[in-house]
Amino acid sequence: MPAQESLFWVAAVTGVIWVGVFVYLVKLDRRIRRIEEGE
Amino acid sequence: MTERKDWWKWLLGLWILAVVWAAFFYAPTARGFKGESARIVFFHVPQAWVAVLAFCVNLVASLRYLRRHDALDDARAAAAARLGLVFCILATVTGSLFAHVMWNSFWNWDPREISIAILLLVYAAYFALREAIADEERRASLSAAYAVLAFVTMPFLVFVVPRIYFSLHPDTIINTKGSMDMESRMFQVLMASLMGFTGLFVWLYTLDVRAARIALARRRRQED
Repeated sequence: MPAQESLFWVAAVTGVIWVGVFVYLVKLDRRIRRIEEGE
Repeated sequence: MTERKDWWKWLLGLWILAVVWAAFFYAPTARGFKGESARIVFFHVPQAWVAVLAFCVNLVASLRYLRRHDALDDARAAAAARLGLVFCILATVTGSLFAHVMWNSFWNWDPREISIAILLLVYAAYFALREAIADEERRASLSAAYAVLAFVTMPFLVFVVPRIYFSLHPDTIINTKGSMDMESRMFQVLMASLMGFTGLFVWLYTLDVRAARIALARRRRQED
């Protein structure tokens, strides 16, 4: 695989991992806020 | 997450996404390294920085617990240590991947690798200690005292030991001559990444502490 192409795929996987972590944190944040408001 | 004060979390999401793009496509290929392996520095160094920051927060929260005996300070200390341990593991894994590319071995028993492994064990023992004590106040007091002792080892294991002995590890960002030997675009990306990871630590830490505050409030209500 050419170096530029493999660099693109590593960047894409890293980006997808971050988006996954970010979405999870946003949902967790909302869940904790809902519990805080219900307390 | 609809409140207006949460704007920084969305900015952080975009910021780290931009850092990922910049790490691979804006920063030039580093000289003196195999292929594109040096790009891992944009993730490895911020992970190590967050681990050190988290252990500092752990120390401050532990000292506060020893002074005030507030259960929330104990929760703050545990949250910081947990994040420190996670980021320390991530820094070890990314360092190991870099070592595999550069020296064809994931583990070389390099002084920096050994010192980070000891640091991991020191903070893993913090959680072993916490799990071993059932009484909450006793657990909080002993783990706070242990955290203070654990922190004493951190500067030696992270900053001193790797600089005393010969190491395969590339020169640190601010090297032993006190100068910064890094191309300016690489330096910009590294600084942006350090800021992003610090923001991520703040978010994770506050989430953990908020969850702990809810758990504590529930427990106090049950006790009343």
